[in-house]
Amino acid sequence: MINVATTMNQDETLDISRLTREQTALEIRGLNLFYGSKQALFDVDMNIARGQVTAFIGPSGCGKSTLLRCINRMNDLVDNCRIEGEILLHEQNIYGKGVDVAALRRQVGMVFQRPNPFPKSIYENVVYGLRLQGINDRRRLDEAVERSLRGAALWDEVKDRLHENAFGLSGGQQQRLVIARAIAIEPEVLLLDEPTSALDPISTLVIEELINTLKEQFTVVIVTHNMQQAARVSDNTAFMYMGELIEYTDTNTLFTTPAKKKTEDYITGRYG
Amino acid sequence: MTKWFKSGAPWIWMTGGAVSLSLVAVLGLLLLIGWRGLTFFWPHAIYEWQISSAEGERYTVIGEIHDREAVPLAQLRGSGLALEGVTSDTLTRYLVKTGNREFVQLDFRWLLETDIVSREQPANLAVFERSNHGNFYGYVERVLEGDSVVGGEVREQLKERIDRVGELNSQMKALQRGEIGTINFELEKLRLKQRRLELDGEATDEALADIRIEEQQLRADYQVLEKELFALREEARRDSVVVRDMRGQEVTISLGNVLDVAWPNDMGLVAKTLHWFKEIGKFVSGEPREANTEGGVFPAIFGTVFMVILMAIIVTPLGVVAAIYLHEYAGKNNLTKIIRIAVINLAGVPSIVYGVFGLGFFVYMVGGSLDQLFYPESLPTPTFGSPGVLWSALTLAILTLPVVIVSTEEGLSRIPSSVRQGSLALGATKAETLWRIVIPMASPAIMTGLILAIARAAGEVAPLMLVGVVKLAPNLPVDGNFPYLHVERKFMHLGFHIYDVGFQSPNVEAARPLVYATSFLLVTVIVGLNLTAIGIRNHLREKFRSLDQ
Amino acid sequence: MDNNNLKKHISGQFNIELEGVLNQVLVMGGLVEQQLTDAITAIHKQDLEMARQIVANDHKVNGLEVQIDEDCTRIIAKRQPAASDLRLVLAIIKTITDLERIGDVAKRIGMMLLDNADKKQPPLVSMENMGRRTVKMLHESLDAFARMDVEAAIEVHKEDARVDREYESIIRELMTFMMEDPRSIPHVLNVLWCARSLERVGDRVQHICEYIIYFVKGKDVRHTSDEDIHSMLDR
Repeated sequence: MINVATTMNQDETLDISRLTREQTALEIRGLNLFYGSKQALFDVDMNIARGQVTAFIGPSGCGKSTLLRCINRMNDLVDNCRIEGEILLHEQNIYGKGVDVAALRRQVGMVFQRPNPFPKSIYENVVYGLRLQGINDRRRLDEAVERSLRGAALWDEVKDRLHENAFGLSGGQQQRLVIARAIAIEPEVLLLDEPTSALDPISTLVIEELINTLKEQFTVVIVTHNMQQAARVSDNTAFMYMGELIEYTDTNTLFTTPAKKKTEDYITGRYG
Repeated sequence: MTKWFKSGAPWIWMTGGAVSLSLVAVLGLLLLIGWRGLTFFWPHAIYEWQISSAEGERYTVIGEIHDREAVPLAQLRGSGLALEGVTSDTLTRYLVKTGNREFVQLDFRWLLETDIVSREQPANLAVFERSNHGNFYGYVERVLEGDSVVGGEVREQLKERIDRVGELNSQMKALQRGEIGTINFELEKLRLKQRRLELDGEATDEALADIRIEEQQLRADYQVLEKELFALREEARRDSVVVRDMRGQEVTISLGNVLDVAWPNDMGLVAKTLHWFKEIGKFVSGEPREANTEGGVFPAIFGTVFMVILMAIIVTPLGVVAAIYLHEYAGKNNLTKIIRIAVINLAGVPSIVYGVFGLGFFVYMVGGSLDQLFYPESLPTPTFGSPGVLWSALTLAILTLPVVIVSTEEGLSRIPSSVRQGSLALGATKAETLWRIVIPMASPAIMTGLILAIARAAGEVAPLMLVGVVKLAPNLPVDGNFPYLHVERKFMHLGFHIYDVGFQSPNVEAARPLVYATSFLLVTVIVGLNLTAIGIRNHLREKFRSLDQ
Repeated sequence: MDNNNLKKHISGQFNIELEGVLNQVLVMGGLVEQQLTDAITAIHKQDLEMARQIVANDHKVNGLEVQIDEDCTRIIAKRQPAASDLRLVLAIIKTITDLERIGDVAKRIGMMLLDNADKKQPPLVSMENMGRRTVKMLHESLDAFARMDVEAAIEVHKEDARVDREYESIIRELMTFMMEDPRSIPHVLNVLWCARSLERVGDRVQHICEYIIYFVKGKDVRHTSDEDIHSMLDR
C-alpha cells in the first residue's frame, strides 16, 4: 500500500532557500504573534514550497500549531491575539486590509487534530463547503462528493452509505471524511493540524499515504508530534522551539544531518 | 458500627431514602388525585332509605352516598338530639345526594345512622342526567309521545328516544355554532364596516344602502334558520317520561332536557366499566353546564393546550435569539455578565407580578394602541384592549423566557469548538456556522428549555387571571370563521377551572370530585405536552449526537 | 561532538544499548588488531604455532560481527534512531564489515603460512614495516573511533598514502626476484598476495576513518581526496 518509489524519491527535492516565485505557495515574513502580552511566535520567516508537504515539528507549546493557524487566520477567533508581520499568498498579505477571511479559508483549507465531522450525513458533510458557496446543483454535488471521497481514499468504503450519519464511521474514516470535506472546495493549501494524533497506527498509515497523493494537487502543511511521521510524509521540515523557527530544510537533511544542536537533540530524543 | 459508617453504606441509604421519599410523595399525589377524580365517574349504587326521624316523621329518601363521616355522640347531643339508648361514642352520618333539585330544597342531605329504618337497592331505580337542574332519581313509570303512552319495553323505548333527542340536540348545536354563528359574525362585520365608513367620513348613502341590503339578506337568512332551530327544539320536546320520585309523586320530565338515563343498580361489572368510560369521554369532550359544576371540560383543555402552544411559538424564537446574542456575539465583559444574571433572576420573580405587567403593558398599552390604530370602528368595545389568549401567551412567554435562554446558552456552550472551527475553516462565516451547524446541534438543549417552559407555563394560573382567563368562554379561540384563529378572545384554562369549580361554584360539595378529576386531567395534559417535547428532543439528540458523547 | 553526547538520551535504555554496541565494536576492533599484529609477527618469524592460533581465533571475529549486526538491527527496529544516532548505527554496521574483512586477511595470512610450512622459504622481502604501519593505522583509527575524533581520523586517512608507497616498492622488489629466477614465481606470488592484502587493510582503515567523519560531521567523504576532505569539512 505504501508507495516506496514516491516516499523515497529525492529527485524532486527543491532547495527551499532558493524557491522561484512559481515554486512558492506561501511566504511568511517576520511573523510575530502575541497572546495578550505573551509572545508566542518570534520573527518567523519561511517560504512554503508549492506542491510539496511541509512539516512543522517541535515540542509541545513551541508554536507550531499557532503558526499553522496563522496561515488561514484561525487565530482571529482567539481573543487578544495580535499578529505582526505578513503572510503572502499570491503576493498578497492575508493580514492586509480588506481581506475576505472566508474567501481566504476557501483557499487555505484546514483539518484538525480530532475528527470533527458535522452531525449530518456523509454526503452533506462533503458538500458543506460547496453549499456555502451556493452550489446546489445535484449533479455537480454528486461529482464533487465522488471526486473528494476518492481523493481522500474513502470512496470505496462509504459509497453505499453516503446518506448515513457521519458519526457511524470509525475515527480514521471520519478523519478522511474531514479531509474529503476540505478538498471538496479545492483549496490551494491544505493545513493539517496533527491529523493522526487521535487515530490508531493503521489509520495513521492510511492518512499518511493519503497525504502523499494529496500533494499532487495541493500544497500541504502538516503539524505533527510524531517525528517519524514528519520524516515519512514531508518533503521539507521546520523545527520550532519556544516560538522560534530553529531550522527549516528538506526533510532528508533534517533527519540525517541537522545543522543545529537543538534540532539534533530534539529529533534524537536528548535532553535539550 | 464505625466500620459500617466508614463503608459508605449509610450514605447510600440516605440518598436512596431521599429518592424513595420523593417517589412516594409524587406517586401518592397522583394516586390521590387519580383515585378521587376517576372514581367519580364510576356508576354508584342508588339506595332507597326508609327514614324515621327523631320527630317521628317517616319518609323515603332516594339517592347515592356521597360521603360518610363519624360524628362524636357528644357533638350530636349538643346540637339538641336526644339519641336515647345509643352506647357507642360515635355515630355514622351519611351525606346523600338526592338530586331532583327543582322539587326538594336540598339536593344533598345528611342521614343519621339511627334514623335509618331500612336500606334497599331496587334494580329499577333510574338516574337521569339532565341538561339543567342536575340529576333526577326515581322509578320510570311510562314513556309518553306527545300525550299518548308508548307501549313496549320501557327501558328500550326510553333509550331509543333519548338517542333521538341527542341527535336533535347535536343538530341544533351545529346549526347554532355553524350557520347561525356565521350569520351573527357577518352581521357584526357589517356593523363594523358601517361604523368604519362613518369614521372615515365615507358613509355615502350608496354605501349605506349596500350595507342595508346585505344586512336584510342576512336577517332573512337568519329568520329561516331560526325557524328551523325552533322546529328542531319542538321535535326534541315531543317525548317525555313519567317518573315516580322519592316523595311518591309522579313527575313528567321532558326528554328534551334529558341527556342520559341509567339503572346503576342493575348493571354488571362490564356495563359499569363501559358506563365509566363513556362518562370520562363525556367529561373530556363535553362542555360545562350548570356554572361549570357539571358536564365536561373540553373548552378548558383546549384553551390550556392552545395557550401553551401559542406561548411556545412565541418564546422559542425569542429565547433562542437572545441566547445566541448573549453567547455568541456579546463581548465577554461585565455588562454581559450582569445581563445574564439579571435574566436568570427574572425566573425568580413571582408570577402574579408578570400578570400585573401583562395587564398593564400588553393589555392596556399594546392592546389599547392596537385598537386605536386598527379597530377604531368597534370602540369603545375593546378588541385587543382586553385580556385575551394572545396576551396570556405573551405574558407566560416572558415568564418562561429565562428558562429558555439559560438552557439554550447551556446547549450552545456544550458544542465542541472543533466543530465550529471545522465549519469556519471551510469558508463559512460566523452566521452561516450558527445557522447550519450550531443551532441544529443545540436544538436538543433548546427543546429542554422548551420542556421546562411548558411545564411551568401550563401550571401557571395566577397571572392568567389578570390577562385572559375567564370561567366560561362563549367561544373557542379557533372556529370556522375567518381568520379562524381569534387570539384576542378570552379562554378557559384547566387550572382556573379547578379554582373556579372548587371554590367559586354555588354547590361546592357537589363539585369537589370534579376538582380532583380536573386536577388529574391537568396533570395528564402537562405530562402529555412534556412527553411530546421530550420525544422530539430525544429524536434530535440522537440525530445530533455530539463528538464527545 | 563528544562521546558524552551519546549518554544524553531521555531513554536510559537507549543509552545502554548504544553504549553496549559501541563497546562491542571496540572489543572487536581490539581483537582484529591483535590478529593482524600476530599475523605480521608470524610472517616475520615464520611462526606456525602463531599462525594456527590466528586461524583458530578468526571465528571469534566473525561471531562478534554477527552479534553487533543483530544489535544494530534491533536498535533500528526499536528505536528508530535519527540524525547522529542513525549515523552512528550506520557507521558501526559498515565499520564491522571492514573489521571482519581485516580479520579475514589475518586468517588468510595464517593459512598461507600453514600451507607453505613444509617449504621453509624465508620471506623474500620485509613486509614488517608495511605491516606495522597498517596495524598502527588500525590502532589509531580505532582510537579515533572510540573518541569520535575527526582530526585523528583525517590523520589516519592520510597515512594510507605511505602504505601505498611501501606497497609499490615491495612490488618493484618482487618483480626483480621474478626476473632473476622464474622458479621463484610461485613463492613470489604468495608474498605478493600478502603485500596486497596488507595494502587493502590500509584502504579498509581509511574506510573506517571515513565512517567516523560521516558519523561526526554528517558529511560523506568517500571517494574524496585528502585535500578535498578538508575543504568539504570546512564548508
